[in-house]
Amino acid sequence: MNRKPLTIVEPFSPDAVPPEALIRFDQVSLRLGGRVILEGVDFEMRPAEFVCVVGPSGCGKTTLLRLIAGLLRADAGTVTYRGKPVTEPARDIALIFQDYSKALLPWRTAAGNVSLALEAMRTPKAERARRVTELLTKVGLAQHADKYPTQLSGGMQQRLQIARCLAQNPAVLLMDEPFGALDAMTRQTLQDEVLRLAEAGGACVFFVTHDLEEAIYLGDRVIALRPNPGRVAQIFDVRLPRPRNQLTTREDPEFLRLRRSLFDFVQEIEH
Amino acid sequence: MSRAQRIAWTLASIGVGLAMIAVWQFIAWKKLVSPVFLPGPVQTWRALFDGFSQGQLGEQTLETLQRMVLGWVLASLLGMGLGALIGSSRAARNYLGPTLEFMRPLPASAMLPVGIAFFGLTKSMVIGVIAFGSIWPMLLATIHGFAAVEPRLVEVGRMYHLSRIEFVLKVAFPNAMPDILAAMRLGLITALILSVVGEILAFQGGLGSHILEASRAYQSPDLFAGVIVLGLIGLVSNLLLSVLEDTLLRWRRT
Amino acid sequence: MKWKGIIVPLALVVIAQAGAVIYGIHSDSLASPWQILRAALTLLTDGTLWAMMRQTLLAALAGLLLGGGAGLACAIVLGLSPSLSRLFRYPIEVFRPIPSIAILPIFLMIYGFGYRMEIAIIAFACFWPNLIIGQAAVAGVEPRLLEVSRVLGLGFGARVAKIVIPAALPRLFLAFRLAAAVALIVAVTVEIAMNPQGMGYELMSAQSSLRPDAMFAILLYIGLLGWSLNAMLLFAQHRLFGVAAAAPPT
Repeated sequence: MNRKPLTIVEPFSPDAVPPEALIRFDQVSLRLGGRVILEGVDFEMRPAEFVCVVGPSGCGKTTLLRLIAGLLRADAGTVTYRGKPVTEPARDIALIFQDYSKALLPWRTAAGNVSLALEAMRTPKAERARRVTELLTKVGLAQHADKYPTQLSGGMQQRLQIARCLAQNPAVLLMDEPFGALDAMTRQTLQDEVLRLAEAGGACVFFVTHDLEEAIYLGDRVIALRPNPGRVAQIFDVRLPRPRNQLTTREDPEFLRLRRSLFDFVQEIEH
Repeated sequence: MSRAQRIAWTLASIGVGLAMIAVWQFIAWKKLVSPVFLPGPVQTWRALFDGFSQGQLGEQTLETLQRMVLGWVLASLLGMGLGALIGSSRAARNYLGPTLEFMRPLPASAMLPVGIAFFGLTKSMVIGVIAFGSIWPMLLATIHGFAAVEPRLVEVGRMYHLSRIEFVLKVAFPNAMPDILAAMRLGLITALILSVVGEILAFQGGLGSHILEASRAYQSPDLFAGVIVLGLIGLVSNLLLSVLEDTLLRWRRT
Repeated sequence: MKWKGIIVPLALVVIAQAGAVIYGIHSDSLASPWQILRAALTLLTDGTLWAMMRQTLLAALAGLLLGGGAGLACAIVLGLSPSLSRLFRYPIEVFRPIPSIAILPIFLMIYGFGYRMEIAIIAFACFWPNLIIGQAAVAGVEPRLLEVSRVLGLGFGARVAKIVIPAALPRLFLAFRLAAAVALIVAVTVEIAMNPQGMGYELMSAQSSLRPDAMFAILLYIGLLGWSLNAMLLFAQHRLFGVAAAAPPT
């Protein structure tokens, strides 16, 4: 049986697409279990943009992410990707789950887990091994290729998930509070790694987080949601120089100003 | 515990086993229990040896083994196949689940009279009943394993557009494997018991007939020889399944 | 929707009955649901059901208490003494996989037909799960508690009664529940294979005297017995131990 490889061989090049919206939310509303989760959500994302989404619990941040992923369907309004409505998960949109240990296959080694994505993309068998090594090296797990997920630390498991997602050569990376369960040091290391990987691959990133400082540190824009029902309250532009640096960026006066604005804003929402 | 200590304990344990055999010999020698009921180890060994070299013990063992393995393989394949189908569908689980659970406490050997009623006292009837009786642990375990797939993994499957078959082979089955392997042990024991009982009831040769005839003729050495062979079958099959479990479930040991 | 589970078996029964009525049953091995129901009611009302159930349950209970009790006693001893459990490891591994059915002809020879033979076999079968699981349960008692017993100067008997058994009780009950299921299954199996008493024997007897309606009725009763026993023990387990017993033995 002939299986054509579905690999997109070249990394997604943002220059090839005009800077119009890659993802657009148009008056999107969603109910789940009788509750209105999202109402009238409007925003768009451009290619190679790093967008962070913050807001109190229950404001629908994860739901937004799942709508882009195609795991949920809106009740009203449209979610479009590259101009077409999202009906099912697109092959070049990758999703990184918060509970990484549950999203990895415990019976496969690290290499095996990355291989899953390649198998799904019908990468020819001969090429798979090379790609697996390449991807594991990108996230710094090359020497742990034969270990099982339970033998890896939390940070390493999350990196493994990232490696698996990169196998799709994603144009969009959806990350659902990916570093919430990790210690501060690991979190900082991974933040910089994600910035590096996103830039190298030219991917657009949709990053959900509780951590306001993380949102400012990573993002080009920060979308703040308010709950009950979830809707976009305000969008902050982050005009900080790239590449970001854990020390200098966080001391930049603009960073501190944004931090104050964001904190004040969230305080206001919560009361 | 160091390696040397571990070896020492193993030897000591084997020593205890040998001591028990020595006690057995003593009891037989002193005729503390009537030799009609309890033959000594030496007599038993001789009966075992003679049974295989001159008698029919070899053929009978093979017969029982064949039945047991055939029935068990059939039950495993059917159990896993049906279990996969039923387990993957919530509707099927809701409608069929309670009925299937009701079959769990039913003694498998109760199927023998039913089998005899329908198919008579034939070889294939026995294998059929063995398969039908041993299928339940594996069927129920597969259903449970398929039903309990981590929802996160289901979503991963959707993100990667895994086809139904791919999802079953790459995610659902490996997920259910620990339950399935545990059920396979139970299934194998059930298959062995059903083989022996079937042989006793249906006069179908095999070890069942051997021990039955030996008991009727009060030939206790032959009887004990048969019991030992049955015990060995149980032991070896248990060992083989343990090895299988260790290989397939390597990831669990970490 | 709890009713969903009843629809399929109910539908099958209705179809079977319809088939029986339309085609007529002239077989020695088939019976219509209606006939089975009538046979079941007859067994219930004329006392034969109670007689056979009593025989099976008596044997099962006696075997369970004897074998289970012995298994429990050994489990306590081995569980509290790591050296003894290490010493006996191989003999146990060798004896354990012997199927209870293999023991049947031995006790048949010694006791002949009747209760003693059946009880002996059931006791043998119930001994092992109690020993293996009980040993793990006792060995798994929080060492801190054992230290407390030593500090308080409790003798062996008091230690077992006041600390070990209560601490290991949830898992011991789990072992007991398993052994109870085994006891019933082995009882019926022995009666089917050999012993002319109890439900297993009546089942075989109904088949060989070509009364399929009685045979299926008895089969149903056996299933109901096993199921209700299991349900009762599960209920007792939840009542007595709640969440504590829910963890499966490793």
